[in-house]
Amino acid sequence: MGEQDKRKILIIEDDKSLQNALVEMLTQEKYETISAFDGEEGLQKAKDEKPDLILLDIILPKKDGYEVLAEIKKGEEKNIPVLILTNLEEIDNVQKALDLGATTFMVKSDFSLKDVLEKVKENLK
Amino acid sequence: MFLKFIDDLNFISSCRKYRLGLWQCPNFLFLAMGLVTIVVMLGTYFISQRYYSETVTVTSVSLVTIFILTISSFIIGGVKKIAEANIMKSEFISVISHQLCTPLSVIKWSLEVLKTEKGEEDDKLNPKQLIFLKNIEKSNEKMLKLVNDLLEVIRIDQGRSIFVKDKVSLVQLAQEVIEDLGYLKAARNVSVNLRDGSPLSRVYVDPKKMKIAMENLIGNAIKYSEEGDEVNVILRMENKKVMLIVEDHGVGIPRYQHSQVFEKFFRSNNASRYRTEGVGLGLYLVRAILNNFGGEVWFESEANKGSTFYVSLPAAVG
Repeated sequence: MGEQDKRKILIIEDDKSLQNALVEMLTQEKYETISAFDGEEGLQKAKDEKPDLILLDIILPKKDGYEVLAEIKKGEEKNIPVLILTNLEEIDNVQKALDLGATTFMVKSDFSLKDVLEKVKENLK
Repeated sequence: MFLKFIDDLNFISSCRKYRLGLWQCPNFLFLAMGLVTIVVMLGTYFISQRYYSETVTVTSVSLVTIFILTISSFIIGGVKKIAEANIMKSEFISVISHQLCTPLSVIKWSLEVLKTEKGEEDDKLNPKQLIFLKNIEKSNEKMLKLVNDLLEVIRIDQGRSIFVKDKVSLVQLAQEVIEDLGYLKAARNVSVNLRDGSPLSRVYVDPKKMKIAMENLIGNAIKYSEEGDEVNVILRMENKKVMLIVEDHGVGIPRYQHSQVFEKFFRSNNASRYRTEGVGLGLYLVRAILNNFGGEVWFESEANKGSTFYVSLPAAVG
């Protein structure tokens, strides 16, 4: 895959250590990553960078994941797959995210990085 | 039942146990109300014997009614306080558990990055480092299981747990669970025999949740077995139901504690003596999960002889 063909992934996650692990794994697999550490920054980068896929946490500073998701799905970026990556596994949280248009819902403590990578690949086909 | 009633009458120890003041303690208020009701009945009888005036009777009955209502409001207040404390406790556990999930996920993912490092030979971890890495990984998995169990109990209690049901083979799930518990079998030097007498049977369950239930049952059987023992996992069909039987010859549960086995945070005396790990959520979760699939769980056990847990699930049709 040439540099120009690299698929771009936006990671909206406020925990720096989790960001690092995700960036490391995705870079190893030759993806280009963009990091955002709060909801507002994430939304801005989604608009500016037009990523191929977004990994989105729910509990975020400034704007939470639901607000970010709702705004993405209202704008020009509505066709970008948004994969929720959170530790909130309650049915109401999952339902809310899916109702707002999330592509899939992953629980961090249940998923290995390999599982996350598989979901990313699946949604970039 | 009678003993429990007698025990409830000892309101001082009950109120101390709940850490409540007398006027907030339902046991005391219940007794006080009972006493007042008796006094009122006797009082009404004597007043009606002595005075014939309607005014006296109506006034005394009204005063007593006001008194009873006041005590009732105290009782309701006490019960409300306990209910609020219960909600706060669940919320506290939920917040702490969610907060713990992030650092535990960081450890889990960072270990995975370290293990899959594709660097030069010199950058790779040596065998000794890999052993210690494995230790960290196992401890982290244990912590994650505890936190996830706590969260799952709260989700089930609040009706917020997700059950995605599918037609699955119980044998296949049993094989996966036994494989996942390989580290525990090795550590305890316990062998697990899977005997499948229902090769084609399927059940309609959420595989993820069913695995949690099976992990707890088979994991307990391994944990509470003596070194070198065998655990039998048997699957068979019985009257259109699939039966899963987990049998061990370990420490067992004393008879007087049988009624508490599926209670939240219960650990039998034998279990606590042989294995200090565990918080007593496993079997509570097992029953809650099986109830959701229309299944049942029960057991036979004798102290120092072992336990047999039986699970019955409706076989999937078609």
